[in-house]
Amino acid sequence: MSGLCINRLSEERKQWRRDHPFGFFAKPMRNSQGVMDLKKWDCGVPGKEKTIWEGGLFKLEVAFPDEYPTKPPKCKFTPPLFHPNVYPSGTVCLSILNEEEGWKPAITIKEILLGIQSLLDEPNPESPAQADAFNLFKKDKVAYEKKIKSIVKENPAP
Amino acid sequence: MKAPARCMETNAVSRKKKTLESAIELPATPDTTTAATMESEDDFNSSQASQDEFMEDSDADFDDDSDLDMDDQDVGFESQDKDIKPTKQAYEVDFKVFDPSQIQASQDKQIAEVSSILVQPPEATAILLRHLRWNKERLIDQYMEKPEEILESAGLGEASTTNPPKIIQVKGFSCDICCEDGAGLETFAMKCDHRFCVDCYRQYLYTKIKDEGEAARIRCPGDKCNRIVDSKTLDLLVGDDLRDRYHELLTRTYVDDKENLRWCPAPNCVYAVECSVKDRELPRIVPTVNCDCGHFFCFGCSLSDHQPAPCGLVKKWLKKCEDDSETANWISANTKECPKCHSTIEKNGGCNHMTCRKCRNEFCWMCMGVWSEHGTSWYNCNRFEEKSGSEARDAQAKSRQSLERYLHYYNRYANHEQSAKLDKDIYLKTEKKMQQLQNTTGMSWIEVQYLDTASQALQQCRQTLKWTYAFAYYLARNNLTEIFEDNQKDLEMAVENLSEMFEKPIDQLQGLKVDMMDKTAYCNKRRIILLNDTAENLKQENWEFIVSLT
Repeated sequence: MSGLCINRLSEERKQWRRDHPFGFFAKPMRNSQGVMDLKKWDCGVPGKEKTIWEGGLFKLEVAFPDEYPTKPPKCKFTPPLFHPNVYPSGTVCLSILNEEEGWKPAITIKEILLGIQSLLDEPNPESPAQADAFNLFKKDKVAYEKKIKSIVKENPAP
Repeated sequence: MKAPARCMETNAVSRKKKTLESAIELPATPDTTTAATMESEDDFNSSQASQDEFMEDSDADFDDDSDLDMDDQDVGFESQDKDIKPTKQAYEVDFKVFDPSQIQASQDKQIAEVSSILVQPPEATAILLRHLRWNKERLIDQYMEKPEEILESAGLGEASTTNPPKIIQVKGFSCDICCEDGAGLETFAMKCDHRFCVDCYRQYLYTKIKDEGEAARIRCPGDKCNRIVDSKTLDLLVGDDLRDRYHELLTRTYVDDKENLRWCPAPNCVYAVECSVKDRELPRIVPTVNCDCGHFFCFGCSLSDHQPAPCGLVKKWLKKCEDDSETANWISANTKECPKCHSTIEKNGGCNHMTCRKCRNEFCWMCMGVWSEHGTSWYNCNRFEEKSGSEARDAQAKSRQSLERYLHYYNRYANHEQSAKLDKDIYLKTEKKMQQLQNTTGMSWIEVQYLDTASQALQQCRQTLKWTYAFAYYLARNNLTEIFEDNQKDLEMAVENLSEMFEKPIDQLQGLKVDMMDKTAYCNKRRIILLNDTAENLKQENWEFIVSLT
């Protein structure tokens, strides 16, 4: 099982290096001894153009389970992001990342990151994950947008 | 299984038994039990009257006791509950028990039927039917109107009629899941053309079926593809063990989807029961069904038989017994609050001079007044008549009363539950002894079966009695309630009488056979009377409950 997981991840790494969407980054982390760990990736998702998220770059940790790609990876914003569908821990709540919902083994890291990018500007009010962002989003759109713009400033794209 | 047909058979046979039984019992019955026998005679006549189909037959049987000796031994053989159910009673509902192969067959039949109407292959039809929760009419309507739309939403994409799916090798193929691209890699794709290697496909199906218990709604492993994996694809890809599990799960969703089908909740039972009682009828009917495995359960809520209480009351009662709302009641009945810091205090001995452990406030337990004002009337508070004291007393008395009312019913409810267990224990012991008796005195097995019958009756009656107390707890007081309580009392007395006989020593038991059989019949009779009365009034919404049934 682990064989499949590592095999697939190294292949995804190759594909990513060959070609990936503009503004994104994704690379396996290195542990304290400098050894590359294919099951933990450092990723970055830029805000979409022409949205309030434009100009920001948001960092994520993506952790792949041994059962990958049968089971989905866990995606976590570091530091936690102010967004209705991001848990206070930073974990992203997205249907394609849910084993019993939309996860399919054919989904790759590229689709995951693109999915998260779309989620930024299209929050799903049906499954709120944190109270602060959700309440602000629901009750005061103006204040919500202001808050997002300040977050974008704190996390600028290079 | 053709349940109705089988039922009729049983009816005919048991009626005959009944006739003979009454005929035998009459001369042998001592004076004290004549009443009981008369009762069962009555029952027999009334039930016979409503059995028009068999009137001719049974009349003939009734007068015919020529083979009395021959059938003598059979009397205790047929279980008593079958005996006394020759016709449908007011508290009974129609139902039918299905075994797994029948469930499969009825699925297959519906699939074949709809398949020929829609001109779709059976496996696609099955997916369509499951998609619409086995509502044939709706499926046909929707399909005739907008075939593409329904196929799409069911996960079938455009019409899938040609070329059955196959495992093939494709040149230059690389699997999107495992990234293998070796030559000779076996690959598979459904009509949606999302091609993956067979190993990945299998692994995917394995996790879905084994780990997630999914069957009817497994979709293509391709990203964003909603195509449903049909049974033909599954059969092609996976081994026998997984295939069996898959079909088991499919059958399960079939029963779950059908409103009029329900699994028997007994452990390891594989049967499902069909009954036409709808959810909205539950406040007026208690649909108790009897699975072929012997388990009696309520079709409405799957709990074991809880007649005469309707599902709504049962739910409320169980919740009441379970949650700690009664703890609060106990606290208010048995404790008082410190008048100063409001800590809850239980007085478990000593005099009325209380010193709160928390705030060191000294007060009198009787009047709750400050202790220093008590002057010389220490240890015997005579300030009882004061207003504040009497108010506190009233509040306390009220709470105690409601607690006592609940406990009255709960204790009796719990008692019958407990007694049913004890009765069973005693019976098991007795059974052992009866076996010894058989061995030593040469009595036949059949001769001791009346004990089995009696034990079953006892269990069933106690089950009913138990729930009469939950039922009564929620009843408002009126004339109907009095009739109900009389019925309850009669049944309870009959049950206790029979139960008592079980405790007699073994050597006396044999001598009590006829008496015991009488009492068994009487118990069953009283149970039927009670259940018929409650069921009829429930149907006509005559009962007044102190809570709402929904």
